[in-house]
Amino acid sequence: MVGMSFLRTAAAFTARLNPLKRPCQASNLLSRTVARSEQVVVRHGSHGKRMFIIKPTDFYDRRFLHLLKYYIILTGIPMAALVTFVNVFIGESELAEIPEGYEPEHWEYYKHPITRWIARTFYDSPVKDYEKMMALIQIEAEKAEMRQLQLEVRRHMREKGDGPWFQIQTLDKNLIDHSPKSSPDN
Amino acid sequence: MPKDHDKDVYPEPPSRTPVEDRQSSLPNPALILSKLFYYSVDLPVTTFRVCLACLSSGKKSHYYHQKFRRVPELTQCQEGDYVCYYEAEMQWRRDYKVDQEIVKVIQERLRACQQREGPSYSQNCYKELQQFEQVSKAFQSRYGDLGAYASARKCLMKQKERMMAEQQQA
Repeated sequence: MVGMSFLRTAAAFTARLNPLKRPCQASNLLSRTVARSEQVVVRHGSHGKRMFIIKPTDFYDRRFLHLLKYYIILTGIPMAALVTFVNVFIGESELAEIPEGYEPEHWEYYKHPITRWIARTFYDSPVKDYEKMMALIQIEAEKAEMRQLQLEVRRHMREKGDGPWFQIQTLDKNLIDHSPKSSPDN
Repeated sequence: MPKDHDKDVYPEPPSRTPVEDRQSSLPNPALILSKLFYYSVDLPVTTFRVCLACLSSGKKSHYYHQKFRRVPELTQCQEGDYVCYYEAEMQWRRDYKVDQEIVKVIQERLRACQQREGPSYSQNCYKELQQFEQVSKAFQSRYGDLGAYASARKCLMKQKERMMAEQQQA
């Protein structure tokens, strides 16, 4: 009986080890381990058995990418739509000769309608900027000239001493008491 | 639709209708490829642009090319007249930009000529080559090594050095 069970186990063992009857693995052949039998392959109507796949968390990465896409698209799509509508329905300007006796506004020197709008609404005309710069330069030049003059005048007055600057106030002559000096050898 | 290039400035050589001398019965691959390109790329893009042109409102706005008055140059300014210096400097900067664009145009012409003529460009594009050489020499001598902080004063000083060198040579 024991021999029978031993034979049965031996038969089962050899059947498992039979290279024709089981999937042949190199590690099995080398280490002579027994291939563990898995679930029998059955064709389900679904995607197969649900597996709990263990991998590092991608929650933060996916959250970041989702937020990135969200915030970019939030203003990206309205901007793209606006620019498309402007280009399709308004269109760029055409180059033309300046008509006689007509002074174009400063935004009429640009081609694209959005550039024109920006130049019209936000920016000062380049002529105005030029004039502002020239006014600043004029003010600074005048200031520099005034300072130079002041130094020159200061030098003269210090030298000659007859100007309103650099006058040292002396005591009034009438306040001097001459009585001790009037009688010598007192 | 954007305009094509100026046909007078970049002339194409006169076309010669080739005599068909096909010796093989295989289809012409160049013809096939050109037809493919036309139907897959050229026709859709052209119809798209034409549709856009129809859609856009009829009234077109114009843009103009700004013309600047000439002001006294740096050599004609009084000493210490900083406003005059500023105007001369701005005028010099505009002229510098214009000269850069001129050089670019001449370069473009030479490039187009070389592309047209192929290996024999040194012989066929002689005029363009001479023009380019002249223009680039002039640009180099006037604006050559002024650097990024170029100014009208530095250019004037460079001119002075050039004149002194010429005088010493003569």
